[in-house]
Amino acid sequence: MRAARVIVAAAAIAVLACGLGVLAGSSGFGVASGEILWTIRVPRVLAGFGAGAALALAGALMQLLTRNALADPYVLGVAGGAAAGALGAMLVAGAGGAQLSEWGVAAGAALGAAAASALLFGLLWRRLSSTALAPAGEGATALLLVGVMIGAGCSAIVSLILTLADEGQLRGMVFWLLGDLNGASHWEIVWLALGVALLVVWPRARELDWLARGDAWAATLGVAVARRRRAVLLAAALATGAAVATAGAIGFVGLVVPHALRRLGVRAAPLLLPASAIAGGAFVVAVDAIARTIVAPLQLPVGVLAAAIGVPTFIAMLLQRPVQAR
Amino acid sequence: MSAAPLEAEGLVLRAGGSSRGRVLFAGLGLRVVAGQRWVLVGPNGAGKSSLLAALAGIFPVAAGSLRLGGVELAAWPPAALAERRAWSPQFWSDPFPATVRETAALALGREAGWRALLDEHVDADVERVLDRLLLADLAGSDVRALSGGERQRVAIATALLQGAPLLLLDEPASHLDLAHQRLLVDVLLDHAAAGGSMVASLHDLNLAWDLASHVVLLDGAGHALAGPRDEVLVADRLGTVFGVAIHALALNGAARFVVGPGGPASVREFRR
Repeated sequence: MRAARVIVAAAAIAVLACGLGVLAGSSGFGVASGEILWTIRVPRVLAGFGAGAALALAGALMQLLTRNALADPYVLGVAGGAAAGALGAMLVAGAGGAQLSEWGVAAGAALGAAAASALLFGLLWRRLSSTALAPAGEGATALLLVGVMIGAGCSAIVSLILTLADEGQLRGMVFWLLGDLNGASHWEIVWLALGVALLVVWPRARELDWLARGDAWAATLGVAVARRRRAVLLAAALATGAAVATAGAIGFVGLVVPHALRRLGVRAAPLLLPASAIAGGAFVVAVDAIARTIVAPLQLPVGVLAAAIGVPTFIAMLLQRPVQAR
Repeated sequence: MSAAPLEAEGLVLRAGGSSRGRVLFAGLGLRVVAGQRWVLVGPNGAGKSSLLAALAGIFPVAAGSLRLGGVELAAWPPAALAERRAWSPQFWSDPFPATVRETAALALGREAGWRALLDEHVDADVERVLDRLLLADLAGSDVRALSGGERQRVAIATALLQGAPLLLLDEPASHLDLAHQRLLVDVLLDHAAAGGSMVASLHDLNLAWDLASHVVLLDGAGHALAGPRDEVLVADRLGTVFGVAIHALALNGAARFVVGPGGPASVREFRR
């Protein structure tokens, strides 16, 4: 029942966080006028929740897929691709003298994420299709290494763009890289991606627990190993790309939320995946509500505060005695 | 459910399952029926693990046929196969925290949805198997904190709880102390007596004698000998295969194998 209690608590916190997010604003705390409420606050809460949920889900998936508790959505390199795409779009628009709309940046990010995903799949397709009896860790290591290499390449491109950008553009770029919900109003895409990703992975989530114990063992239980690994990777790439295109590279959520849930007793993948989505969304919405009110009218990037709150909390959890079941 | 017969005919396996790998052994035939306990013995790298994986249907066969219940292994729907045979690997990956109870029940109720995972009801089967393997006190501990022998017993519990009558166990006695080795033999003998069957690889020849009804001896040089225990586990032959001097003693009607100093008796010479 412990897992059930944790999930109910996470859902309750999510509702509270969304209420807080709608009520809190840079103009003060309270029920805003209709226009502010519906054009700024509600879309922002929805975008933040969707991005946080998608990142935490992708993090849980990547950890299961690589059998590594340190994996997060960004080890795929997809987020790096999104960053390079978004900043590239800003740079090109800036050179033309235009101020790029939020849609333009998001489109650039989505394009970059898609390109990085295509590269990832192109390099790993054959490896992911190989027979089941490969040594337990080999496939997972290859996946991590390829993802990290794509990420390294993308971060070089990002550095190059930052060098080329002029002063005016630099601020917007850095904020984007930190993870920023400021002005984020397009929540539909990330919710759609989140829904598709959950639809792909959740019905057969139990198989992910088996895969984490070994590909060959999972195969003897009837898991179509190669197909499942590809489906999970695709879902994680989709969720990560959509989240980063919507809200920038918010760090920390994808790594820590699944980890914290496991320590609280939510361990089986069929529970961990939806619980990660709920808790990740709640975390980002709550942190964003604080980020834009704590030093109002200045708005902090949500990624900065996520780390500022999350790092000490997480270290405290780690230093606690290991959680025993029951 | 009584174990369906598992048959191999003219079986040839190559190292790594690739067509370029060296031939591990050729022309192996065997028939495992309910009540039988088959033990695989042979030197390191002779192909014991590969044979077990091939019997489980997850290792490519270079030539020959494998049938379970008269049907080619490859023709079985994977989920139906999981109902009939359980395979336990030599090495497990435990990347995330999980209790002994959760790990033992991993393959139990494979079709159950997430709802079943929400209520951590105490399953009578799980508790009975944990109790039998002397794991009841550890049921709530993290598997990653266990000793090697304790983890091995959890792996056996996982295999038993899969509910399949045919067990394929890769070195189930590894890391087990003497008392727990006897426990393992008793548990597996009971499983076979109840209509199950099993194939397991072992390194301890005395344990093999006590457990086996039949033995497959792989010599690591491409040959496989399969047959009733008493015909295969012969001291001279074992000595030649392992390259050490092996003597058989009779003790209360059981053969005990002891390793003597020097090379195998058949090749040992005093050169003066």
